[in-house]
Amino acid sequence: MAYNGIREQRQDTETINDWGGSSLAAARDFPQKCLGRADRSFSQGLQCQQINSVMALLSMEDAAFVVHSPLGCAGCCSMANDWYRVGQIYRGSMALKNARVLVTNMDERDVVLGAEQKLAKALRLAWERYKPKVIFIFTSCASGIIADDVDSVAQEVNAELPDTVIVPIHCEGFKSKVCASGYDAAFLAITKYVLEKEDAGETIPNLLNVFGPPTVSTVDQMEVERMLGEIGIEANYLPFYASLEKIRRIPRAAASSAICKVFADEFMKDLERRYNIPYSHTIMPIGTRNTDRWLRGAAKLMGKEQEAEAYIAREREAIAPLMADLRRRLEGKTVFITGGTGRTFAAGALVDDFGMKLIGMQTPTYDKNIQEDVERLNAIHGDFVLDVANMMPFEQVNLLRKLKPDVFIGVPIWAARLGLPTTHVLDIKRPTMGYRNLVYLGQKIAAQVENPGYNKRIAQYATLPYKESWYDSDPFKYIVKEG
Amino acid sequence: MSEILENPHGNCALGGANATLSAIRRVIPLYHSGPGCCMQTTAGEASQGSLRLPPYTAYTAIPCTNMLEREVVFGGERKLDAFLQGALEILDADAFFVLTGCTAGIIGDDVQSVVAKYREQGHPIWAVETPGFLGESYRGYELAMNALRQNLVEERPTEPDLVNLLGIVPYHDPYWEGNFEELVRLLEALGLRVNTFFSHFQGVENVKNAGAAALDIVVHPWLLKSLRYAGTGEVLRFPGVPLGAADSAAFLRQVAERTGRLQQAEAWIEKENRWFYHYLETGIALQSWRKFSVVGESTNVIPIVRFLSNEYSFSPEVAVCTDVVFRQEDKAYITKALTDLDYGSAPEIVFTGDQWEINQALARHPESHVLIGSTNEHEFAMSHMMQFVCACYPNTERLIYNRSLAGWRGALTFMEDVYSNL
Repeated sequence: MAYNGIREQRQDTETINDWGGSSLAAARDFPQKCLGRADRSFSQGLQCQQINSVMALLSMEDAAFVVHSPLGCAGCCSMANDWYRVGQIYRGSMALKNARVLVTNMDERDVVLGAEQKLAKALRLAWERYKPKVIFIFTSCASGIIADDVDSVAQEVNAELPDTVIVPIHCEGFKSKVCASGYDAAFLAITKYVLEKEDAGETIPNLLNVFGPPTVSTVDQMEVERMLGEIGIEANYLPFYASLEKIRRIPRAAASSAICKVFADEFMKDLERRYNIPYSHTIMPIGTRNTDRWLRGAAKLMGKEQEAEAYIAREREAIAPLMADLRRRLEGKTVFITGGTGRTFAAGALVDDFGMKLIGMQTPTYDKNIQEDVERLNAIHGDFVLDVANMMPFEQVNLLRKLKPDVFIGVPIWAARLGLPTTHVLDIKRPTMGYRNLVYLGQKIAAQVENPGYNKRIAQYATLPYKESWYDSDPFKYIVKEG
Repeated sequence: MSEILENPHGNCALGGANATLSAIRRVIPLYHSGPGCCMQTTAGEASQGSLRLPPYTAYTAIPCTNMLEREVVFGGERKLDAFLQGALEILDADAFFVLTGCTAGIIGDDVQSVVAKYREQGHPIWAVETPGFLGESYRGYELAMNALRQNLVEERPTEPDLVNLLGIVPYHDPYWEGNFEELVRLLEALGLRVNTFFSHFQGVENVKNAGAAALDIVVHPWLLKSLRYAGTGEVLRFPGVPLGAADSAAFLRQVAERTGRLQQAEAWIEKENRWFYHYLETGIALQSWRKFSVVGESTNVIPIVRFLSNEYSFSPEVAVCTDVVFRQEDKAYITKALTDLDYGSAPEIVFTGDQWEINQALARHPESHVLIGSTNEHEFAMSHMMQFVCACYPNTERLIYNRSLAGWRGALTFMEDVYSNL
């Protein structure tokens, strides 16, 4: 059966979203299917897949967007629009164009009577106003539950507007617990409404599809493109700042690679099936070892192994003195890491570059693709606490109070209140990836460890919303196994 | 019927209710909603007001049932029940409000019954039905304020020097906390005590005591028309947070008249005026005459247009009110406030929250040189070589802690922002 875009429903990956315990036990028991599906009886907010669909595409230059929902579901468009605008500045543009987002603004009446006419009107408005080459529709829980026939509306309006392509994305939040499903929903729709309708075209021998999630900063994107350029590979970087033209070039690439482990992985498999385009699925290029692996993975497919090895040696040598200095400053520090699946595991290996020791980690999913990463981290760091959670700050602060790491890497909002030095490998506006940017990242981590004044001081006054008794409880007590 | 909106200047009912309740110290909203509502409403409301976040619960720290397909099909009441047990076990708050999202609203979960069980056990917990499709941020604010009124406010004997200051929407007004701070300073100068609920480390006790107030002061053109907190039922409405010497004096006089403090008011107004014009004198001729346009929520547009026209002798070209104003009488009230200027002529007044229509309105006034608006209008300003001041919601480019656009002090701050050496 064709993949439906819901990551936890894939049979082959055995995805788990709710689990907590020892990393050694996880790596031992997962292959025996002994971790088990579970749910949290008490939880904090997840991120829905619609957010990821929106974030993946909102910077498409020649597109307009229709969010078929009440106003609230356009909330993260504002965040993505900010990234888009900042990205424009970093690219030297002073125009600061907004993403063109039309919300159907479903109200009580629409929920009862359906809002298909309104959707059609929004699509026509988007065309009249901006003549976009492509219009993406994002569905919502509300439009999904009342079962608006979004595909038919899209088809009908597209027939009136032959100079644009309307791409409906089925990203209803309630359908998936894993927000990365929203990336897949976007790629599935692009395949169905753009790629399937056209001939693949001739292969361009040195063209590599590079799929990057929207949380990759502009400087990181430029660094990735530069690194590939150094070894003679042209990047078709998508979908951040992409265009319909770049999407149409996807089938012409000689190979594909992704910057994040949970981004475009299913899409790349599909491209291999359809067009025989091989792909590399390694790890996010953060840290020397991860960058080596990522670059080698891509170079191998493109026949650029020698160039890659020479380049890796060159870059590593160039940053060696700086790395030695960073290692001196960070060696032996214990660290707790949280973030998206791609970044947490990359960061887990990264901290070893600096001689730091991983003692705890939160990651949104555990599946077959992750097993090798956990094994690798176990080999480097030994046993650590693994919390399979999409942040769940209540579990995070409970673990932090118990583990008392020297450094916290992740969204700092809650850990900072405990007075821990905090830093992040996710920085949408700053460098983190590749060899050169690693120095910046290392300096950032070291600076926070050496100068934790802000957090130390704020912790004296900041509050967290939990009773003191919670910190004495089992952090995983609300994870209930499914019968 | 609601309109299609491009780059909306607002979030949904759930977003507004959450921003309101989470701005009260030690109050925790609990979402019975889909898995994205915590992120969407935080990013779309609090976070794009002043970039600040509610300190207690925001983004993925908001407790949430994360309703998935199973709940859509079989109902979510059981999940909510188990969730509340955990929530009340580990969370520390003076009041909890279960807020529903679209999913719970459409499938019709009986949230009130589930929550009543815990309230009967003695927990301070209530449910407010806030599915996003009920409306925009302001609908959420009114639902939340209504829930506070119904469930928390106690009947207490009137305290003649106590007033409630209402109508400043937390986060949705980027200057909300600074505005509270400055207006409270002015009201305290009249010898009044002020319930704001949201500032000055106030909390649930202030909400409970709101019934003892002698007067509700609502600084908004159309919010809270049918809601009274003060036990006396007395209300004074002002169209926005007063900005500048003239409107601030008018505001203080009106309050003073209703509370019998005219003498104190006149003395204080004189003191503030002297202070204000001491500064203004040092800035004469620093900035020459400009035509300007304003885009923002009506409650912010009104004071800005009035101040720049009445007290800075700039000429308003167009005023775009981006909030959805349903009632004709409210539109008339807003129009009057924007038209009734001391000397200057009135701007074109437009009611729309749609970015395309906003840009069309701005484009009708090519002689305007200064644009005061939200981050959404930054694009128009740059592509039309206009000076731009970001002072309205949504704002994703400027951190605002307690800067205010209130009173005499706020006017000085604002003039510093409007100044340009170009």
